[in-house]
Amino acid sequence: MRTRSGLALALGVMIGLAAGLYYSWVVNPVEYIDASPASLRQNFKDDYLALIASAYTHTGDLQRTRARLASLQLDDPASALSRLAQSRLAAGRPEAEALALAQLAAVLGQRPVPGVATEAAQDTPTPAVLTASPTASPTVTRTPTPLPTATPGAPFSLIEQEQLCDTRLDEAQIQVLALDASGEGVAGVELLAIWDTGQDRFFTGLKPELGLGYADFTMRPGVTYTLQLRDGDRPVSDLSAPECVDDSGETYSGSWLLTFQQPSLP
Amino acid sequence: MRFSSRLFVGLFIGLLLGVLYGWLIRPVEYVDTAPDSLRADYYSEYVLMVSEAYSADVDLELARVRLAALGPRPPVNIVISAIDYGLEHGYSQLDLETLNRLVVDLRAMPPSAEIDTP
Repeated sequence: MRTRSGLALALGVMIGLAAGLYYSWVVNPVEYIDASPASLRQNFKDDYLALIASAYTHTGDLQRTRARLASLQLDDPASALSRLAQSRLAAGRPEAEALALAQLAAVLGQRPVPGVATEAAQDTPTPAVLTASPTASPTVTRTPTPLPTATPGAPFSLIEQEQLCDTRLDEAQIQVLALDASGEGVAGVELLAIWDTGQDRFFTGLKPELGLGYADFTMRPGVTYTLQLRDGDRPVSDLSAPECVDDSGETYSGSWLLTFQQPSLP
Repeated sequence: MRFSSRLFVGLFIGLLLGVLYGWLIRPVEYVDTAPDSLRADYYSEYVLMVSEAYSADVDLELARVRLAALGPRPPVNIVISAIDYGLEHGYSQLDLETLNRLVVDLRAMPPSAEIDTP
């Protein structure tokens, strides 16, 4: 009789447990209506990231942008932005979007400069103007911070073309450095590599760890390229992988480093 | 105690444990949510970002597509909700004006075909 009672209790618990789990996981699960951006599906996360970058081009508010990026809980936001810029460019998405991503990646990739005032210190209070805001209290607004962009109207000129023989490079590259008149790297400069059967666009600043004005393009063996900066004065032609010789006398494909600079404005 | 009574007590205990486990200890995890499930502050921040991006690119169609990710409500209503939230939570004047600009332009936009949610 005692065994029978114990069996009934155990059976009841098992059926009840199954029913309880079914109810709490399937029929009426915990509803997450207060999700954070970090829990978004990957494609929405990418859209969110692109939106942060596009918004930054308008506000120039790096402090707020960092806070927005923090909500996505990314390990390395600059790299994520850079990767997304490249994938969106490759997918034929609007150029402005890729540029915004590249520029923000470049800005985040910059090392902090000691002694430079923070974004918060640039905030200036403004009085309330909107009449339809009964509860709006005077708050701070932002002073847009200029992005590291090229000097308008000044074309880039090739100032140096250097052959690179580096065995650490796995592939032949056209490496580009775009500098402004003061010698600082400029992100977001559009470059066009043209060859017999095609062309490809790329931008400086997509690899912020290598400098704001840096970009590279992989050359295929036996193909000759012409490189044109969108804001350049003239194209650089006849670019093909130069032949290099390593310590053991073996030949390998080298690379080119092209440095462009804007002239000083009068 | 009779068999049926024991079974009933067991059922009750099991049900209680099951619900406790399913709701509190190991609830269903939503890791692939959509923007329409964002918490109110993130939701409004999303709308504000759409407005800021619109101020930069002046692409109203793109703004509508971005707002469509927030659910089936009309885009104008979504932005108005964000303005209301901003008024309640002390958004800056500039932010409110940015949102307001998008509402004005959305209202001026002729009705177009329905936009698919991404």
